[in-house]
Amino acid sequence: MPYFHQSVCISPQNSFPETDLSRIRESKNNWLEATEPDYPGIPAAVKRRMGKSVRMAVGASIPLLKKFPPPDGMVIATANGGMEDCIRFLNQIHEYKEGLLTPGSFVQSTSNAAAAQIAILTKNHNYNITHVHRGLAFENALLDVVMLLKENPQAGYLLGSTDEISAYNYNIDRIAGWFRDEPVLNTGLFEKPAKGTIAGEGAFMVWMNNERTAAQAEMMAVKTIHTVDPGLVLKTMEKFLSENLPSGETPDLVLTGENGDIRMAPYIDIVESYFNESVPVARFKHFCGEYCTASSFACWLAIQIVQCGFVPPLLIKKKGSRSSCKRILIYNNYRDIQHAFILISAVERV
Amino acid sequence: MMETAELKQQVKEQIIHFLNLTTVKPEDITDDEPLFGEGLGLDSIDSIELIVLLSREYGITIQDPKEGRKILTDINTMVDYIEKNRTK
Repeated sequence: MPYFHQSVCISPQNSFPETDLSRIRESKNNWLEATEPDYPGIPAAVKRRMGKSVRMAVGASIPLLKKFPPPDGMVIATANGGMEDCIRFLNQIHEYKEGLLTPGSFVQSTSNAAAAQIAILTKNHNYNITHVHRGLAFENALLDVVMLLKENPQAGYLLGSTDEISAYNYNIDRIAGWFRDEPVLNTGLFEKPAKGTIAGEGAFMVWMNNERTAAQAEMMAVKTIHTVDPGLVLKTMEKFLSENLPSGETPDLVLTGENGDIRMAPYIDIVESYFNESVPVARFKHFCGEYCTASSFACWLAIQIVQCGFVPPLLIKKKGSRSSCKRILIYNNYRDIQHAFILISAVERV
Repeated sequence: MMETAELKQQVKEQIIHFLNLTTVKPEDITDDEPLFGEGLGLDSIDSIELIVLLSREYGITIQDPKEGRKILTDINTMVDYIEKNRTK
């Protein structure tokens, strides 16, 4: 069974280097920007070329790569890669009429730049892959590691995700209706549901292997589906739970990617209403904002929660009556069509 | 025509901007300090960025890499070459 070991999360909240989920940082101009550390482990000459998404990913990976043996693979999720560098490169093409272009922005903008930089810095020539499947990029990366650990039970892998806000793409998405036109704070995101949400970003890295000893959480199962039918989402979840939980049992917490966008509400409602009153419901996107790999932030939260058995009050939507929190179901929905379920459990100590 | 001192200041600002040297100020770069290896610590990718800088900002095309290495030794050599060869 795959286990999550130490993890690092660079997010808009207090997640690294110290974790404090008792407070919430407010969004500005409908953005929740990640709070970056100084990255002492990244050489200055390398750091100055890095865009934010690459910098966050590399910075989050370094503490893990120092602690654990060289990974047998690095599996990174990013839907968009270095968006700011991508726009800079496209602007260069336009400005200089497809003439002389510099390599920096192009190299940094490619989706696999984060995984490549981590491999170069650590001189690691093992399996190195980047999953880019929009709102399911993280789930596909996670599934990849789960399958790799089935094939190579003794191996250890670095799993991660990273995505950044880009001003240019934010404006395109806002015009398309995915972000709110009117100013809204993350702390009031759920008060007046409307079309659109707030933007977010962040990076998550975790060490995974099959060793229970010293593990922080157990990775039970992951399931993804593309659909615009809430009924099919419900059927998928029912099957997912029946296949992965003992008969008649339910998770101790449902952690949803509710983001204040009314178009997502039917899916969130149908998932939440499936469970009886005893099951608590929490949500996470007022902490991290909306981005393609936001479910990785939920994964990081779930790992923290199953370790302490306590759900930070600022996350709770419905209290429920469970006395412990050992099994968490994450449900995420990206733009009405990409749905994912992840089941994470506390580690059974024998 | 721009004075040499003024041009040196401009080139330093352009280097900082093109290479994203966020922690360096123009006054931190001395005119005879090596740009590569020791000194400013630039590398081969930076040399491509600087060659593009010369082309875009001054209309100078460098074809021979050996020639490029001599031109990009320090601020003095860069500015000297710019003054003699600029087309814009």
